[in-house]
Amino acid sequence: MAQIFPKWTNKLPLYIIIGVMFGGMATVGFIWYYGSPKYTDVGYRPEQPVEYSHKLHAGDLGMDCRYCHTSVEFSEEAIIPPTQTCMNCHTLIRTESEKLLPVRESWATGDPIQWVRVHNLPDFAYFRHSAHIKAGVGCESCHGNVAAMEVVEQKESLSMSWCIDCHRNPEPFIRPPDDITKMNWKPPTNQLEFARKVIDEKKIKPPVDCSGCHR
Amino acid sequence: MKKNVNVKGKEYWRSLDQLAETPEFQEFLHREFPENASEMISPVSRRKFLTLMGASIAFAGLAGCRRPVEKIVPYVIAPENVVPGIPKHYATTMPFGLDSYGLVVENHEGRPTKIEGNKKHPSSLGSSNAFIQSEMLNLYDPDRSQSVRLKGVEKEWTEFVAFWREIYPALLETRGEGLAVISGAFSSPSLYRLFEKFNREFPKADWSVYEPVSDENIYSGIRIASGKTVRPVYHFDKAKVILSLDADFLLMENESIKANKGFAAGRRVESEKDNMNRLYVAESVFTVTGGMADHRLRLESSMIPAFTAAVAEELSRLGLPIDLPFPDIKDTHRKFDRKWINALAKDLLKNDQQSLVVAGRRQPAIVHSIVYAINHAMGNAGNTVTYNELKDSVIPSLESFKRVADKVNTGEIDTLILLGGNPVFDAPSDFDFKSLLKKVNHSVHLSMHVDETSEMTEWHIPQAHFLESWGDARAADGSRSVIQPMIEPLFGGHTMIELLNVIISGEDRRGYDIVRETWQNIFSATEYEKKWRGLLHNGVADADAGKEIDPGLNSSSLHTTVKKFKFNQSGASINDLEVVFMASPAVYDGRYANNGWMQEMPDPVTKITWDNAALISPKTADELGVKTQDLVRLTYKDRDMIIPVSVLPGQADYSITLPVGYGRRSVGRIGNGTGFDVYRIRTSDALNFDQGARITGTGETYLLANSQDHNSMEGRPLVREASLDHYRQYPDFAPEMVKSPPLKSLWEDRVYDEGYQWGMTIDLNTCSGCNACVIACQSENNIPIVGKEQVSKGREMHWIRLDRYFAGDIDDPEMVYQPVACQHCENAPCEQVCPVQATVHDDEGLNVMTYNRCIGTRYCSNNCPYKVRRFNFFNYTKDLGEIIKMAQNPDVTVRSRGVMEKCTFCIQRISGAKNNAKLEEREVLDGEIETACQQSCPADAIVFGNINDPESAVSKMKKQNRNYTMLGELNVKTRTTFLAKLRNPNPELKDYKININ
Repeated sequence: MAQIFPKWTNKLPLYIIIGVMFGGMATVGFIWYYGSPKYTDVGYRPEQPVEYSHKLHAGDLGMDCRYCHTSVEFSEEAIIPPTQTCMNCHTLIRTESEKLLPVRESWATGDPIQWVRVHNLPDFAYFRHSAHIKAGVGCESCHGNVAAMEVVEQKESLSMSWCIDCHRNPEPFIRPPDDITKMNWKPPTNQLEFARKVIDEKKIKPPVDCSGCHR
Repeated sequence: MKKNVNVKGKEYWRSLDQLAETPEFQEFLHREFPENASEMISPVSRRKFLTLMGASIAFAGLAGCRRPVEKIVPYVIAPENVVPGIPKHYATTMPFGLDSYGLVVENHEGRPTKIEGNKKHPSSLGSSNAFIQSEMLNLYDPDRSQSVRLKGVEKEWTEFVAFWREIYPALLETRGEGLAVISGAFSSPSLYRLFEKFNREFPKADWSVYEPVSDENIYSGIRIASGKTVRPVYHFDKAKVILSLDADFLLMENESIKANKGFAAGRRVESEKDNMNRLYVAESVFTVTGGMADHRLRLESSMIPAFTAAVAEELSRLGLPIDLPFPDIKDTHRKFDRKWINALAKDLLKNDQQSLVVAGRRQPAIVHSIVYAINHAMGNAGNTVTYNELKDSVIPSLESFKRVADKVNTGEIDTLILLGGNPVFDAPSDFDFKSLLKKVNHSVHLSMHVDETSEMTEWHIPQAHFLESWGDARAADGSRSVIQPMIEPLFGGHTMIELLNVIISGEDRRGYDIVRETWQNIFSATEYEKKWRGLLHNGVADADAGKEIDPGLNSSSLHTTVKKFKFNQSGASINDLEVVFMASPAVYDGRYANNGWMQEMPDPVTKITWDNAALISPKTADELGVKTQDLVRLTYKDRDMIIPVSVLPGQADYSITLPVGYGRRSVGRIGNGTGFDVYRIRTSDALNFDQGARITGTGETYLLANSQDHNSMEGRPLVREASLDHYRQYPDFAPEMVKSPPLKSLWEDRVYDEGYQWGMTIDLNTCSGCNACVIACQSENNIPIVGKEQVSKGREMHWIRLDRYFAGDIDDPEMVYQPVACQHCENAPCEQVCPVQATVHDDEGLNVMTYNRCIGTRYCSNNCPYKVRRFNFFNYTKDLGEIIKMAQNPDVTVRSRGVMEKCTFCIQRISGAKNNAKLEEREVLDGEIETACQQSCPADAIVFGNINDPESAVSKMKKQNRNYTMLGELNVKTRTTFLAKLRNPNPELKDYKININ
């Protein structure tokens, strides 16, 4: 009687085991990489053309975020300040500083300073700063404690699931208007109660549909 | 209430192929994507494909490790009031020959991206048309001329100025002897000031005005009848009965936006108690105006003068005091249908002072004279048509052009200045303009492209686009407006004002200074700065419209002219065909030839893209033995040309319509060699139409990329239509046209009763099919063009299309339009078949498309009953140049290959308005969000808003009894509904079949 299975099938279990092993390793590797900060860019801390210290300006000197990021309350962009903003002070203070050379150069030549973008959303996601500030979300919630950073780095994953988590459950992140730019902000004990009141009053309804951010 | 008995309605068909049930049409019906649509354009073998795929996967792995570094480049000194992320809007004006349209242009950080109408301007009234919308792409056309040229060698502007200063003193001394200028028609305070100065400085010079598509006959006609050169301004909104004589006033005549708006106002009904206007049309080619007609008479253009006289005579017979000599036309007018003319005349007379007769620019002056006399006698003058003083304008004059051409021929002209225009391409072919240019010593040509004329002239000056220019304009009603630049000239162009100033004075001055100087004479000195700023803000100067005047009637001049005129008695025949030259709805006179949006825009009537064709009637085609796509030889006088034929139902028999402006030889990558040059058989003695043409087949065929048969809907009552009488009898005829069993969903329906719920209505009764919405949508939503070959495969990307259906007799059908974009079904069939949830609903009832989830199965498109989904078969935007990219709207994602896309109800505008309302702590107001199509619509046929608010305009529209859902029996619950179309036939002519012979 002819054999039902040809001879090579003897090795089939081995192939399957090897296949499953490789498959498993690939899956683990896949999740390992794509779930890691290496993929989401948490900790991304590029060198900037000017050694600008947020820690000094926003932290030690206590300047408000909005001194430079002027349009954050009414535009979708928070904007990086024009050279002019730096020169408001630095025509008088530290006029000889080595670190400020690129700023003075930009001011003299009219060539803009090319900053490296740290928080980079994909082009198909549309984010509005103004809407979030209006709702009472603090700067710190997405950008981390910038006032403590010598060099700005990305603190949160900025992934879609991270966005959606907050959109589904915004209560812990809603602040009184005066505290929006505060760093190291600690929610008060009645935060939930407060947040629910604000959500009711301002009719805050964070979109969780695709059309909220994609168009 | 009586029930609607006529549920079946008319039978509509979309093309001759459908009627004939050809295999090609059947194929289109049964395949959502025509054959080969999914195969790659170049033959790539399977093996090659796998190799490529393997390599790209390997590279993808490498490239995916690190996202690209992106730079943020802030201002050095931030300009006042410019906030990144918040677009600015500035008023300006688009000059278009004697017309001008006030606009508001959206700018993103100094980059204009979208043009819309200025509500304060009398000629645009907040709307626009396809030409205006497409100017956005013209601005960023990378094929525009980039430098001054001297005999083809690139030079600097300063070198040209130096050249002119050299020859200027001699010209000044001889008072301009040997100097001639050819310009287009214009209506502008600054240009006219310079024009007058030119005449003072160079009294012996000759200034001629040529337009290939010219309104000269209108002005001549009125001059004959009244003795004055005045501009007619029509008030269609006040007219109850309108007769159009070969005039496509809803699309191709001047002031079409205002006409469309006025006509729609007179046609709009809210209930069966309202009245609507009545439109009679006599025309040779089927136009969108003919499509709106309640009674349409097919008639060769050459028979229109006799027809006009016949109407005038009938009016006179019925007692209208109109004093005209009619003797010569007795014979002819027996050919016309007396009953039709009689009914028309009675209707006009019944509505004296409230009727309107208009004639097209194609028709000779005599027709306009008679029309003037009719309107005068009926008391329409001063009511439905007013006459304005023509100020700051030069009107086209073929005679002046011919005079200059003759002078060049005899060697009298030494220096020829061409201010715009392209006479080598579009001048009458008997002038042989190309060789004329060789006979002048110096020639200077200002133009946007290095075109056919620029190649022949000594100097070429790149022209700045109007969005880069300072200037001003006078609208038809005389009000003045400003042209202000949105952006510095991208390619260093110069304006006509600047060039003319150099010519006159030898001085190189900025356009800004010249325009400001003009307005110093307009505004009082004390208030100048304030008023100037007001002008820049509003775009339109304070109401200083031209004076309305009553030009009166000069009977004796009218008498002599009519008596002298030889009315055509015979009409065309198979051996004596008529040719009619028509401005193309896509490229106009050729100036939009390099505009991809306009080239790919389906012609409103024929639905042909990327080409022009000789349009002939089915009967003529039968007798000639030709069919659509046959290449034929057209012989006229001693000239001939090869052109494909397109058979158009409703075309007058034995009349061939030839759209001009195609077949450009030197304009750019889009326009070169696209279509067929008709100007080569157009001569100065018959610029508009003539008889004596012959057609012979060549035996060859030519592919016409036609969007006609794509996405057909198989004869269900999609467009619903009734006569006004029927509507009054059965007010609910439209929703009752389809009977279906009770509609029940398979699953529990989601309830949308909270917050904003967006919806739209489209009033088919006012939509004329003008195409403005198609191009507005393309501009707003970054929709790519795909090219002729792709269109012929059914891959055009337009999110909104105008379905055009014919009804009735194949020779003399009616035409209806239906704009179709995504219907935003609540119970959307596309969503049910998407395997990856790339298309889902949001809680405001929008059917949203998530591009980054889409894997391109195209199931959704197969399951869409409305065929509105568009698939990116290729990465159409990948190879866009840096310059064209600037036209893209930053608020809309640019799609890549392999994803599906469709109308979003302009979700970026919804989102923007909602955000603004939030910031201002209020709700979105009704009318605050206008979709791009709605905004551009000159007929205001599209209304968008919140259907959850019973007081919103869209909710009120949906409550009207004409409201119906297309394919509502599918229970898809569309958010877009239509208001049924009505026609208002004369009861005397009810079901009357016109007898043309």
